[in-house]
Formats: sequence, C-alpha cells, structure tokens
Amino acid sequence: MNKFISNLIVAAALTVSGTTIVQSADEGTLGKIKERDSLLCTGHNGSYLGFAEVDDKGAWQGFDVEFCRALATAILGSPEKVQFVPISWAQRFPSIQSGDIDVIIKVTGWTMTRDTELGLQFSRPYFIGPFYTMAKTELGAKSISDLEGGVFCVNAGTTVERVLADYMETNGIEYESLSFEKGEELRAALYAGRCDAIAGFGPFLSSTRINAPDPDSLTIIGDVIKLEPEGIVVRQGDDALLDVVNWMVSALLLAEENGITQANVDDVRNNPPSPTVERLLGVTPGAGTRLGLNDDWAYNVIKAVGNYGEIYDRTIGESSRYKLPRGLNNLWTNGGLLYPLVHD
Amino acid sequence: MGIASGFGFLERTTGWPVSFSLVEVSPRSTYARVLYVGLLNTIFVGLMTLVFATLLGLVLALFRVSNNVLMNLVGTTYVEIFRNVPVILQVFFWYAILTHLPGVKDAYELGGVIFLSSRGLALPSFAYSGMDILILISTALILALLYRFLSKNFGRHISALVPVVIFLLVAICLLYLGKPPDEALISIPELRGLRFKGGLSIKPEFTALLIGLVLFGAAYIGEIIRGGLLSVDKGKLEAASALGLSNLQVNRFVRIPLAFRAMLPSLANQYVWLMKGTTVGIAIGFPDYFAVISTSINQSGQTLELLGLLMVGFLLVNYSIGLLMNLINDRIKLKGRN
Repeated sequence: MNKFISNLIVAAALTVSGTTIVQSADEGTLGKIKERDSLLCTGHNGSYLGFAEVDDKGAWQGFDVEFCRALATAILGSPEKVQFVPISWAQRFPSIQSGDIDVIIKVTGWTMTRDTELGLQFSRPYFIGPFYTMAKTELGAKSISDLEGGVFCVNAGTTVERVLADYMETNGIEYESLSFEKGEELRAALYAGRCDAIAGFGPFLSSTRINAPDPDSLTIIGDVIKLEPEGIVVRQGDDALLDVVNWMVSALLLAEENGITQANVDDVRNNPPSPTVERLLGVTPGAGTRLGLNDDWAYNVIKAVGNYGEIYDRTIGESSRYKLPRGLNNLWTNGGLLYPLVHD
Repeated sequence: MGIASGFGFLERTTGWPVSFSLVEVSPRSTYARVLYVGLLNTIFVGLMTLVFATLLGLVLALFRVSNNVLMNLVGTTYVEIFRNVPVILQVFFWYAILTHLPGVKDAYELGGVIFLSSRGLALPSFAYSGMDILILISTALILALLYRFLSKNFGRHISALVPVVIFLLVAICLLYLGKPPDEALISIPELRGLRFKGGLSIKPEFTALLIGLVLFGAAYIGEIIRGGLLSVDKGKLEAASALGLSNLQVNRFVRIPLAFRAMLPSLANQYVWLMKGTTVGIAIGFPDYFAVISTSINQSGQTLELLGLLMVGFLLVNYSIGLLMNLINDRIKLKGRN
C-alpha cells in the first residue's frame, strides 16, 4: 500500500514536472542542443552553390548556412556554436532520424510524403523556390517544348525529378531523364554536353550558370515548372524546437519589415520605435522565455547575421556573385510572398 | 519516431523516371517495379563485365606466360596500370571521354546508320520486342542442349548447321509475326530534334561503367589465370608431349583443365567482387540496383526496408554466382581427396 502511494506521488510529481518542462521547453532536441552547447546543422557533400558551400578559407557560406548560424545564435547566443555536418540530399532524412543532425536547413521542399510518413515536421516556408530549366544556348530553345526529346539532368532523389516528370507528362513533351547523386557530377555532365538541359531550383540554376566555364553557353528558360515552398525540418514531436525555428524566421522578416539591420540594431534597441520592436529585441520581457530562450535572442540573431533581406543579399542576392533578384522571396510589402507573424 | 514502416510503399507509384532499363518503366511504375529494373540493370552490366573481363583476362594471361618479350611487356604493363588505379577513377575517366564526344548534330557516323555522339552509340536494330528476345534466347538454349543430347546419346552425327538453321527460321518468323504491320523490319536511328529516334541506343553511362569494370577486372582475372597456368606441373606437360600430343592438344587436354581446377576458387571470389563493383555506377548516373535504392530511400523515406532489400538483392546475386562456381568446382575437383 505504501508502495502504491509512493508510486502515485512519483507519478503526480512527474506529471507536474512534465508540464513545467514543456513550458521551459528544455526537453527534446532543444534541450539536447543547449546541453551540448552546439547545434548540429546540415552542410552539403560538396557544394550547393549559394546555399551551402565552403569558401577558400574553408568556412561554410551560403543562405542555408546563415540560417543555421541564426538558429544557433537564437538558442545558444553565438553564431559560432554550430557544427556543419556534410550530408547528401539522400542522407538528410535518415540523418535527422538517427540524431546525426538536429535540424535540416537544406532547401527542403514541403511534400506530403515527407510530412506524413517520415516522422518529420516542417516549419513555415522560409524560402519559395521556383523550378526552371536551363538549356544549352546553342539549342536556341525559347520554351521547354522546344527541348522535345532532349536529355534533362537532375539531382537524384530530389523533388525536381518528380516535378519535371509531372510537367513533361502533363504537357505531352517527350524527354529523357538522367539523375546524378552529386552536384559536381551533374554540372560536369552538363558542361560536357551529356545533357541538353538541367532542371532545378532557380537559384541553383543561376549559380550553376555563373560557375560554368562559359556562362553564356547556358540559358535559363522562362517557363516556371512549379513553385516549391521550402521549410526547415525537425523531427516529429520536437515542438519546442519547431516553435523556435518558426519564430526565428518570423523575427528575421519582422526585422526587415521594420528596417532593423545588423548595423543599426543597437541604435534601434536603445530607441525602439514601437512596442512590438521593444519585445522583439528584448527591451521588454517575454519574447524569449516562452520559447525557452533568452529575451534578447532576436537581438543576438540580428546582430550576428542581420535580417532576412541582409542574409539574402549577402549570400545569393545583389551583393553576392549570384545576383539573384528577390522575386517572390521579398516581403509582401515589396511584392513578395513572405510576411512576419504577429509578435505579440 | 513516427516513421511509417513496412513494405506497403512498394505498391505505390514512384513518380520519377529511370534513365536505363531493359524492360518497360515509367514514372507511373511502382517502387517494386523500379527496384526490379535496378536489379536487372545490375545483373546485366555485371554479367557482361564477367564475360568480357574473363575473355580479356585470358588473352592477358597468355601474353604474360608466353616467351615472346614484346607480348610479355604489353601484358605486364597493362596489368600494372589497370590493377593499380582505383576502379571508380577509371569509370570516371571513360565517362569523361565518352561525354566529351561531339553532340548529336555533329555525331560521327558510319554509312548513315550508325552514329556515335555524346549521347552514346545509336545502332540499327531488328524490331524485336523484349518478349521476342526472351523467346530467342530460350530457343537457342533448348536447341543447344538438344543437339548435344542427340549427338552424344544416339551417336548420330548431325551437322551443326541444322540447329543454326532452325534458330534462324524461328528468328525470321518472330520478326514477321510479332510486330505491327506498319512497322519496318529494321529500325534505323535518325536524327530528330535533339535525339536519335529509332534503332538501338547504347548510353554512355552503361558503356563507361562496362569499359571501366572490364578493364579493371581483366587485370585481376588475367593474373588469376596466369597463376593457374603456371601451377601446372611441368612434368605433366612433358609427359603429355612425350605421349605424342601436339602443343595445341597439350594445352587443350592437359594444361587448361588442370589450370582451371587451380584457379576456380580465386576466380569465384573475383567474380563476386566484380558484381559488387557495379555499384560505382551511381557515381556516373547509371541506375544500377544501388542507385535505384538510394533514390527510392530519398523519395519514400523507407531507409531500413530499402537497405534490407539492397542487401538481400546483392546476397541473392552473389550467392548464385558462388553456388554456380562451387557446382563447377565439385564437378572438376580431384576425386577422393578433400
């Protein structure tokens, strides 16, 4: 009987502490990241130009890499507290399930299979990727139907393979598909002329083009095959981490909307224009504790990597060598599809 | 972890195409079908590799055991070069060469019917379906067995021409019967837009993988055969000559049978190894079993199930090779000694 009572007490204590743990969000992967004092994030096997590439000093650079740094800063306070695990497209899902990485930030399309069957949870889209094709200029193709019968090369195991197959079937265009496991091999095959065209993500295509021995020999064709929203992925059940990811993306957008940049974030913090910005930058409390973070997490993130626009500009936009226009990845106020959530 | 498990996904359609296949496959095919296609590709390229590597290996071995200095030098140089460069580099090398050939519009051509370009080799072909080819192969096998059976058991001498003529008759009948009336008997590749239409096209991925594996495998197999030939006791060869056998007969009845017995076990190992070597195909975009499994893992997410199928597939293929080699070994090994 005594034992029964003590069991009851233990169970009750567990329930109570369980709820407090959820509130402080220190269980699950978020807790593990804090304990390890380091975030395990996705790098790439080789380079996915503009998104995850190693520069000449051996440091990881790119749009996705900056988001890894932003997440590390939000949780641990420093952009240095992140380890990049080089991972192929095919390995990203097995790797997150086995715990090799905490989070996938690797332009991962939000698909039904991945969301429902792989035990994954997607964040709100942090990037909108239009799929295009890029053909050899010498073919003089103006639209995809001009490439009838051609060889299209794609990255193996990506959504592009399916999206292209669907598009071609829908439009009754006969084609031949060739898939490569690594981006380097895909590019080599394209430059050598094994493929007439490659299909992929707009940013990937323009970075491939710029790195070609002769960029003018490749032309991006205007037809959009499909639009794909890309999300950040966590394991199913990592609600606390997913919350942090979603609000981090939102904070980066809110900062851009309010003109808060890496350079002026200190001034804005000393002189906040609105209660929302006050909360965002941790001048008034509440923005952090609810996520299990410090109240100044967003300030740290902006201080470390800048706002969404700055990240874009630096890695794939105007200030980078890829010079991708913002297009759909602009704020809604500038004709894009992105918007911050309500930071109340 | 909330991952769906089990083999239910095998019945779902894949939604992605496979670039090289011996049988019909499309994005509407099921995962089971696509895996089967991958396994067929692996077996196909693997068996071709074994056959050609053995033939080339035999030539190399004969070069190396001959007394001719030049042949010796060629054989030795070949073996040392191809044995010491990793097979994946060789495959990359051949693939790079094949894909740097001119494009389809400037293809090398032979008589307007054979074209060589960066898209591969386009050849004229007979209008046979996959089923027809299966029938032809089985006809050939049955005829060969029947011929051997009749001539051995009944002592009747039948000309070897008879089965050949029967086979040709069957082939011609199939060609006329098995096709739609408006289709040409022989399909000739012709340039249409960005590709050659019609005929048979051999893709550079397949060719590069085959060349790389054959040249690499032949270096090892050559050494195994050479070892076998050298292992035959000199006394036995001299005894055979003393019995009045010609050089050719000594080789045919004494040297090669004895050498075969000695080299069979290591040859079996090498065959199994080469079969596994086909997996480098993934690096150059050849959809072998491994590549297809890898893509399926990514598309369906069923990692453990698919890795299980990968292992079972290779186990089946390689165990069959091992079994066959052991059967041959049992037939030819010295009786009464174990």
